[in-house]
Amino acid sequence: MLKRPSSRRKTSKEPIALNLVPFIDAMVTLIGFMLFTTSFLAIVSIESPFPHASTALTEEKLKQKPLQLTVSLHENDSEIWSPFERITSKKIPHTPEGQPDTKAIHEALLSVKQQFPDETKIVIVPTANTTYDVMISLMDNMRMVTPTDPPIFKRNAATGNDELVKALFPEVIFGNLLGDS
Amino acid sequence: MSFHRSIRSRRNRRKLPGSFELQLTSMMDVLVIIVVFLLKSYSTSTSSFAAAPGLQLPISGSLDSPTESLQVIVTPESMTFENERILDFVMTSGSIGGPETAVYKFKATDLDEGGRRIVPLYDALMKARDKAELLRAKSKTRDPEGKPLPFEGILAIQADKQIQYETIRKIMYTAATAGYKVFRFLAMKRDG
Repeated sequence: MLKRPSSRRKTSKEPIALNLVPFIDAMVTLIGFMLFTTSFLAIVSIESPFPHASTALTEEKLKQKPLQLTVSLHENDSEIWSPFERITSKKIPHTPEGQPDTKAIHEALLSVKQQFPDETKIVIVPTANTTYDVMISLMDNMRMVTPTDPPIFKRNAATGNDELVKALFPEVIFGNLLGDS
Repeated sequence: MSFHRSIRSRRNRRKLPGSFELQLTSMMDVLVIIVVFLLKSYSTSTSSFAAAPGLQLPISGSLDSPTESLQVIVTPESMTFENERILDFVMTSGSIGGPETAVYKFKATDLDEGGRRIVPLYDALMKARDKAELLRAKSKTRDPEGKPLPFEGILAIQADKQIQYETIRKIMYTAATAGYKVFRFLAMKRDG
């Protein structure tokens, strides 16, 4: 016997509820794991190679009189100079607190970079009592160009176009690792 | 009185329906947002370096993230290599005023080569180098000539901001004599 049309339509459909409890369990476990393993303190690094000399290369380079830009820290001032006198030596007095004037050093290095845009190396000669904080600050000012600095361009030999210099002297080398100064 | 009130309140208590369900959708939303945020920050911090407790790192504007390498941590009181304390500095006689003003220096027995090389650090670095070279010799990864990959010789230095260059120089000299030719100075990233 056929059912009446009205009763056929009355199929009881209960709303399906998605069971979210296992999802939440998984999420909470994941968050716990990530919070435990993630370090929110961002650590950055500044790389510096140990200076080494190859005799053949050195002799060849010495003939060309390299810039070998050097920043030497002294008791009362910092000196920017070149052992081969490619630039005029400049002495920058320390701040009243007795620390190297990193901003003035940065500005002086900018003018050197404008003269030698292809140079990437710089030698730093700190004093024995220079703190790690000052070392990092100096290296930052030697390596990086800030957005407020005047733009420096260098000619790309391959394309012949002038390109914006994005780093000052990124290769920092310590000059007195073997000496006693 | 209190007994009657209690009965009344029990009677008046609203009964929960039999099929009560907690609304979890909004909670899921919050959890998904937290997971996405954590995944985003997790992917950018792949290095295993973390600031050592009690160490005040300087702040740097560098953008380079340190990759995996051996690490030496220098605090004003001690030196740690790969989570193993290798030496303690000694307080100088002039710093009796208190720990805040104390000045520490190396023990004479910890130095050699005219005070340039740190003996415990050299031993630890050589041990780590031998281990790394042994692992590379056993590894199937080879260079184009079929030889084991050369030892990278990278040392990360994490020092307190007050540590002097005299100490850092000794560490670099010691590392160089042990065959480590590249140094990574670690610092905290500057905000913004």
